[in-house]
Amino acid sequence: MRPCTTVPAMCGIAGRTDDPQGRATRVMLERLRHRGPDDEGVHTGASRGVSIGVRRLAILDLEGGHQPLANEDGSVWVAFNGEIYNHARLREQLRERGHSFATECDTEVLVHLYEEFGEAMVHALEGMFAFALWDERRGRLLLARDRFGEKPLFVHEHGGELVFASELTALLEAKPQLRELSTEAIDAFFVFGYVPGPETIVRGVRQLSPGSLLSWERGSQRIEERRWWTPPQLPGRLNEPRAALVAEASRLFADSVNSRMIADVPVGVFLSGGIDSTLVTSAAAASSSQRIKTFTVGYDVGPFDETTRARDVAQRLETEHHEVILTQEAVREQGPRILAEMDQPLADQALISLHALSDFARPLVTVALGGEGADELFGGYPRYRWIERIGQARNAMPVAISPRLQRRLSGPARRLIERSGPEPTLERNLDWVTGGRRRHRRGLYGPRLAGVNDGLVLSHLASRAGELGGEATGRQLMRLDQVDYLPDDVLVKTDRAGMLVSMEIRTVYLQRELAEFAASVDTSLHLAGRGKSLLHAMLPPGMDTGRTRRFRKAAFNAPAAEWLRGALAPTLRRQLDSGTIYEEGWFDRTTAKGLAAEHLSGSHDHSDLLWGLLAFGLWSDRLLGADAA
Amino acid sequence: MLSQRIAAGMKGFETRVVAGDVPGAEAFECDDGLAVRRVRADRRLGPARNIPLNAVAVAMAMRYRPAVTLSVHIVTSPAAALIARATGAPTVQYFHAKEVGAKPKLAAFAAANAQVAVAVSRYTAGLIAATGVTPAETRLISPGVDLPDDPSPLPEPRPTLLTIARLEDRYKGHDVIIRSLPLLRAIVPDAQWVVIGDGPLRPGLERLAATHGVSDAVHFLGAVSDRVRDEWLRRAGALAMPSRLPDGGFAGEGFGIVYLEAGAFGKPVLAGNVAGALDAVSDGETGLLVDPTDHIAVARAAAELLSEPALARRLGANGAVRARELAWPRICERVEATLHECLEAASS
Repeated sequence: MRPCTTVPAMCGIAGRTDDPQGRATRVMLERLRHRGPDDEGVHTGASRGVSIGVRRLAILDLEGGHQPLANEDGSVWVAFNGEIYNHARLREQLRERGHSFATECDTEVLVHLYEEFGEAMVHALEGMFAFALWDERRGRLLLARDRFGEKPLFVHEHGGELVFASELTALLEAKPQLRELSTEAIDAFFVFGYVPGPETIVRGVRQLSPGSLLSWERGSQRIEERRWWTPPQLPGRLNEPRAALVAEASRLFADSVNSRMIADVPVGVFLSGGIDSTLVTSAAAASSSQRIKTFTVGYDVGPFDETTRARDVAQRLETEHHEVILTQEAVREQGPRILAEMDQPLADQALISLHALSDFARPLVTVALGGEGADELFGGYPRYRWIERIGQARNAMPVAISPRLQRRLSGPARRLIERSGPEPTLERNLDWVTGGRRRHRRGLYGPRLAGVNDGLVLSHLASRAGELGGEATGRQLMRLDQVDYLPDDVLVKTDRAGMLVSMEIRTVYLQRELAEFAASVDTSLHLAGRGKSLLHAMLPPGMDTGRTRRFRKAAFNAPAAEWLRGALAPTLRRQLDSGTIYEEGWFDRTTAKGLAAEHLSGSHDHSDLLWGLLAFGLWSDRLLGADAA
Repeated sequence: MLSQRIAAGMKGFETRVVAGDVPGAEAFECDDGLAVRRVRADRRLGPARNIPLNAVAVAMAMRYRPAVTLSVHIVTSPAAALIARATGAPTVQYFHAKEVGAKPKLAAFAAANAQVAVAVSRYTAGLIAATGVTPAETRLISPGVDLPDDPSPLPEPRPTLLTIARLEDRYKGHDVIIRSLPLLRAIVPDAQWVVIGDGPLRPGLERLAATHGVSDAVHFLGAVSDRVRDEWLRRAGALAMPSRLPDGGFAGEGFGIVYLEAGAFGKPVLAGNVAGALDAVSDGETGLLVDPTDHIAVARAAAELLSEPALARRLGANGAVRARELAWPRICERVEATLHECLEAASS
């Protein structure tokens, strides 16, 4: 038996249905080298023209985990990226059914599960994954993605053939002709700060949606895609004892932490000091016989300092705590490269912080537990409460506040009035999250974006909201974030920040049963007090000191405004002078320079706008260059 | 209802029954002249709602001076204790399960004041012990089952898994069955799940089925008549209720009478390998016991029961034998014997 039991499977996968020799697949895999620098494997079903391949980071046994892996008779092959947390139990059940295993890898359970359940196998999996499974006998290729969209998978269809890869840039390596940017996607990126799926920044390539399966069959060339799981939309449990709900949540959470702690390599926790990561740390410490390593990031500039709070929590939980200060100098050296190396542009300002934290922790741990998803599932963002309240307040206002009076207001009062505009809830939410970026489009867009339809981003939101049905505001926003912001921003950031330094970040809150439980709890209970009231109730005695400031929102916030005035100012200026996005007419250089001048002078904070432009500009320069035209 | 069933089946005692007046109670009225006094419990009174029931029981006892008191639920244990003090009549106290977890102090009081405790399963006996009070004597007597007049199977074109339970206790495992259905259907493509029973969990379960993409395979029938229920028991391939242990110290399945009812119709059952089901179902003999939190194990077991006719027939036949062993007349005999022994012990 070749061991690789619980080694993190940091991988990239790629393949084509019209690649009998696997050459194009190898080209794509080369582009995924950063996701798996140690090993490469390609299986070609030569008679059928299909190739699937993997790049893998091997931490222990190189040979044991070599992929693609096959079943006993070599009729089913799989290329897998991710982690199956319940693979030991699955293996046990499959052995009872008579399956024999050649390795201890979690990947191998997939081919045997497929033999047992066909494509319904995905319902047996607990974990984060994207995989390609080739059934030689049926001439059938199956692509699948996990429930929440933790692991990426990009797909291109043309003439009944398929190309797929873990990252967009790899796929473009095999299909350079697809490098035509989508104006609608750029518009959405500018407004949202990420590219909402299933679309991508280029035309002709899409993402397989979270919780989806795609099957392709040789012969008919038929492609079918279907959702196998959607975030639950359950009626709230109101009449059950709160103690019972807390007990159920605690058990499910502990189960999730335990399953993610299983590894042959060191496991740590990213601790911001907020309630999400504090709970994770507490549960991890309880489930481990060894002292847990915790990591946090601080800055040498700006208002955000979570290190004190994280240190305090670490002391209380007696962890081996490590802090890194992300200096301006480090941001100057690393920041532009990180933004540019994303496979799609991402304007999440915490990307650099999470990358720095992963890079810092990597020599000590290979796996880190993270708190992603807690806000979306358990009602953590204050806007869930405030947008509902603002709507109620707006309705109660006897007269409209005149624009003149609004202009005379300043600070929080003005922001409150601005946010209590007459827009529908979804637009109000959008403006809250993005700082109203959509209103700057006319001035900032260059001629290439001039024809973009202003209403597309709103119709995207409306379409997503339409899927959610008519629900109370808070719940509707939570669910919208679960299907939009979470997979397309938060989890992209988490995956790519980790992959860039070969660190696996395991999300504890994104566990199927825990998510279904959270969805079944009435929103009013989630949003009670400062929000996440169930999580507060789950804290061990002494940790939740009356919901003090200790647990106010914290998730590795970054001092982006200060970086743009300091460490990243030279890069910003270079971008404005010669960046592709201005040269090619995507954005208006003069307007952007005006905003930059105001920001650099300190008179205004335009970091929300400038960060997106910088991220997109650096990405465009690296990937597209002159081809962007 | 349990009190009437037992009282009606006892031939060696003159019985007087005081019972709560709950919706549907009249359906359990026996036509053998049993004297039943019903007392309405007003839910608005909260914990005090059972005081009238206890008061009427004590008043009746003072009038009839019973030789022994059979308290079939811990909510009447205060009356039993008062009757014992006033008349010297010993108490035989029933324990089920749910109430012991929900009211541990009252359960401890009931156990402390009873000469004999009747636990419906070994699990329940463990729950009684967990209250910190050891009853003077504990007898294991399972609930009884009514044997159907006609248990012969009815034709049903689709392989059918049946669940019969009120939709108010999450531990019954409806959610796990929903998660298992995609896997079950991969093995038994036409399989359907018929759910009998209604309650506040129904809307959530319907939406959970949609989340897992199995709405078309699930049929919630709601509350149905005994006739319709019996018809489905005759049509179904197997009965499934993978009850698990609830969180937060609450008690789970005390026994699971529905497992016996399915057995009475010759149907195999799928149950959780915890709590009272361990006594109600004999693994591999009358049904399959699985980890009730493991939807894959539930899917596998359900697939075996629906796709292996020989196995289903064997388990069902064994279940029918067991149902006959635990039919109400036999159970009443055991309760009556226990009452006699209690009286003898008290008088000696």
